[in-house]
Amino acid sequence: MEILKCEGVTKVYESGGGQVIALDHIDLAVEKGEFTAIVGASGSGKSTLLHILGGVDKPTEGKVIVEETDISTLNPTQAAIFRRRKVGLVYQFYNLIPTLTIRKNILMPLLLDKKKPNREYFEQVVQTLGIADKLERLPGQLSGGQQQRAAIARSLIYRPALLLADEPTGNLDQKNSGEIMDMLKLSNRNLKQTIVLITHDEKAALQADRIITIGDGRIVGDEKRR
Amino acid sequence: MWKDYSSGYLKNNRASGISVMAAALISSLLLSLLSGLFYNLWIYEVERIKMEEGGWQAQICGEIGTEELAAMQSHANVEKAVVREDLSDDAEKVVDIYLYDKRSVFEDLPEIAGMAHLPAEAVTYHYELLNLYLIRDADDAALRWVFPFALAVTAVACLSLVMIIHNAFAVTMNARIHQFGIFASIGATPRQIRTCLLQEAFALCGIPIVVGNLSGILLATGIVEGTNVMLADVEGRLSVPFSYHPLIFLLSLLAAALTIWLSAWIPAGKLSRMTPLEAIRNSGEFSLKKKKNSRVLSCLFGIEGELAGNALKAQKKALRTANLSLVLSFLAFSFMMCFLTITIVSQEETYFAKYQDAWDVMATVRGAEIDAFDRTDALRGLDGVQSCVVYQKAAAKRLVMPDEISGEMKAAGGFDLAPAEYVSAVSGGWMVNAPVVILDDAGFLEYCGQIGVMPQLSGAVILNRTRDAADPNFRERRELSYLKETGETTILWNVGGEDAAVEIPVTAYTAQPPVLREEYGTLDFYELVHFIPLSLWKEIKGQTGNAEEELYIRILAEDRTSLHELDEIEESVSELLNGTYDMEIENRIQDKLNNDRMFAGMKAILGVFCLLLAVIGFGNIFSNTLGFVRQRKREFARLLSIGLTPAGMKKIFCIEALVIAGRPALIALPITGAAVVFFLKISYLEPEVFLREAPILPILAFLLAIFGFVALAYYLGAKKVMESSLIDSLRDDTLI
Repeated sequence: MEILKCEGVTKVYESGGGQVIALDHIDLAVEKGEFTAIVGASGSGKSTLLHILGGVDKPTEGKVIVEETDISTLNPTQAAIFRRRKVGLVYQFYNLIPTLTIRKNILMPLLLDKKKPNREYFEQVVQTLGIADKLERLPGQLSGGQQQRAAIARSLIYRPALLLADEPTGNLDQKNSGEIMDMLKLSNRNLKQTIVLITHDEKAALQADRIITIGDGRIVGDEKRR
Repeated sequence: MWKDYSSGYLKNNRASGISVMAAALISSLLLSLLSGLFYNLWIYEVERIKMEEGGWQAQICGEIGTEELAAMQSHANVEKAVVREDLSDDAEKVVDIYLYDKRSVFEDLPEIAGMAHLPAEAVTYHYELLNLYLIRDADDAALRWVFPFALAVTAVACLSLVMIIHNAFAVTMNARIHQFGIFASIGATPRQIRTCLLQEAFALCGIPIVVGNLSGILLATGIVEGTNVMLADVEGRLSVPFSYHPLIFLLSLLAAALTIWLSAWIPAGKLSRMTPLEAIRNSGEFSLKKKKNSRVLSCLFGIEGELAGNALKAQKKALRTANLSLVLSFLAFSFMMCFLTITIVSQEETYFAKYQDAWDVMATVRGAEIDAFDRTDALRGLDGVQSCVVYQKAAAKRLVMPDEISGEMKAAGGFDLAPAEYVSAVSGGWMVNAPVVILDDAGFLEYCGQIGVMPQLSGAVILNRTRDAADPNFRERRELSYLKETGETTILWNVGGEDAAVEIPVTAYTAQPPVLREEYGTLDFYELVHFIPLSLWKEIKGQTGNAEEELYIRILAEDRTSLHELDEIEESVSELLNGTYDMEIENRIQDKLNNDRMFAGMKAILGVFCLLLAVIGFGNIFSNTLGFVRQRKREFARLLSIGLTPAGMKKIFCIEALVIAGRPALIALPITGAAVVFFLKISYLEPEVFLREAPILPILAFLLAIFGFVALAYYLGAKKVMESSLIDSLRDDTLI
């Protein structure tokens, strides 16, 4: 079952009087529960693709369908609600709210929706990610690896259709990188979480079920490994 | 670095530059205005005291001849020693001592007195004047707190203004540590960075500080001279021209320059303690060091309330200036408006309304004796005069025996609570003050008619009332009858020569005084006022004497509501008396207008001051919100990326603006309310009387201005944040 489908997605930026084509007619489908890695050189368009898939940016052309909703046509409020409910975003630099505790940060998508968290699920996520004892701390009081775990917990709390991770290990040491990748794999296997991982780390990409390679805004390779 | 970086940065970041310049300009203006006004107020007080009492630092009283005077003058610290002929007699002389160095007055004066063979007790110090130079004597029991308190308040206000300049600059500098980190990483030395920061600081603030200081002096000149013009015809007020000491200018300039130097130095020091990487990572983003809860906001507005509350806590330092100046300005404004309203209402009740029917035109003639005054009939015959009384007051004493005291007064404790300075126990009775009010004969006969007794000029009418000393309500203190009203004569004793006395008949005892602008028994509740006709005074003057220097003329007009009419009477009286008598004249309506004008002026000056203080707060809010894009776009991008809607974002901004604008009201209104209750209580004013005049509209207008400006600042800042790119914001630009 396809959970994500891109049809002819194109993104063009205006730059200094000229145009830069960041994505050029991308067609892509991701099955539910699939762990996909998107790799490519710097400036190949992979981050742009991730932002469009996450609803934080809009394509210049084409459709992005997530669970039968074309997110390219959503207005800002609808897009915000979509991000809150359907997508979990993990960034290289965590992007946690510095003024809120880790607990509040994790629960934020639910709180924005005025929903009460499922205590069991919350416990399961924070235990799995090993941050159960850090919940009352502020982000600034945690190490980079711990902050990234909190960011992953936040992205999982709404049980989103799609977890999008943009270089989640890019700012971490080898030990922490390995642990974060294990967490992602664990959530993919145990929770059947669909994951799209953007990375230029070959070792990280090799842990995915499928590797899509992007170059100059186009898909230049699509390898199913499992 | 200046040429390559700073000048370009200042040109490209005008918003933050302008906010720093505005803060420096307004703060230095206020600093200069405040110190200029305080200096002039001080000069006024010094001049007033010098005019009323003389500019001497001490007086020596005793048997002083030419030799002793020369001995005093020979002291190294004595500038001059002047004999006061008006206070001296053959036996004792009073000498005013003027010193070169006032500070050593308490050490030198006993020595100077000793040189004239006089004890230290012969010295009287001019405490009131010395207090203005902050010279205090441990033996002086009086509090004399007004001047030191005013000085302390001014110093605190100046310090707050200095803090505002510091804060405005420090916030901008701290926000740029990231950029200077980049410079450090490519080899800029701490010295280069420090120099660059100082250059920027002085480039931004140098001109505003000089302009602000000069404008403050100009404004202070305008206020002082304007006040002199406005209150020129207010009786008893000195017209002291604006004066300024160059030291004040230098000090306020130095204070502002030092503040800026420190404000630039502190972030430079902070930077030198960081590694370049740490400095680069400093995004200037607001964050918290400790976990905070915003329970009230969270409860009222949900998660957006909590986010807004935490964001405000994280911006606490950046918004300190705004919070401080908005709260202080609103507190000062509401407090000042309420305090002045209470003063006006109280004055209206205790003076204008109370004496509304007692006078229209009042002349005080100095150095005239009532028995020699020959213009009474002419005054009565002036056009527009309905009634005229000429009167003079004289001091006397009366012995009150226990069997004379009324039952009512006995029941209230008699003289038990009487202070020794007014009442002394003498030969089985009490010697009390018996002020004598001598009315011209026609005025006295009119008074007899007023109280319903047979008009006659042979005796005194005794104001037979006292006040209950145990009743603290001075506004409506309980009155008691004083004597039993059985005595047919009364004996007036000479003050100072208690063996001389005169017995006069009593025409009547009454609780009703004549229609004069006079108060009786305000300080000394036990004084027994005697009203006597001029004819009787002429007979007893030789025995009692002690008439005061001033003679009063009280006139009631036929048309009591027209200022023009009162002005004309005033002019006619002046024409009649000028040239012969030294006098001052005033009329009731003009007095009221002058008084209203004085209060309006005070309100305007203090109001402008509060407004300027608030402007600093507005400036800080604007500089903060216009700097939003850099500091807060990531915060909002994060929230948007996890599903915050644009409406939610607007809600957060609205809550923040509401809290900033609402805080002054939340803090100031209860404090002002409590102060109003306190003042109403101690002044025994009815709350309804105050509420009828309560300055609700101006306070509301001030509050609305705060809300309006804060809302505008947030609208502009929020618009910028909402227009910024979400994707760019999500990238960490500090490591790119």
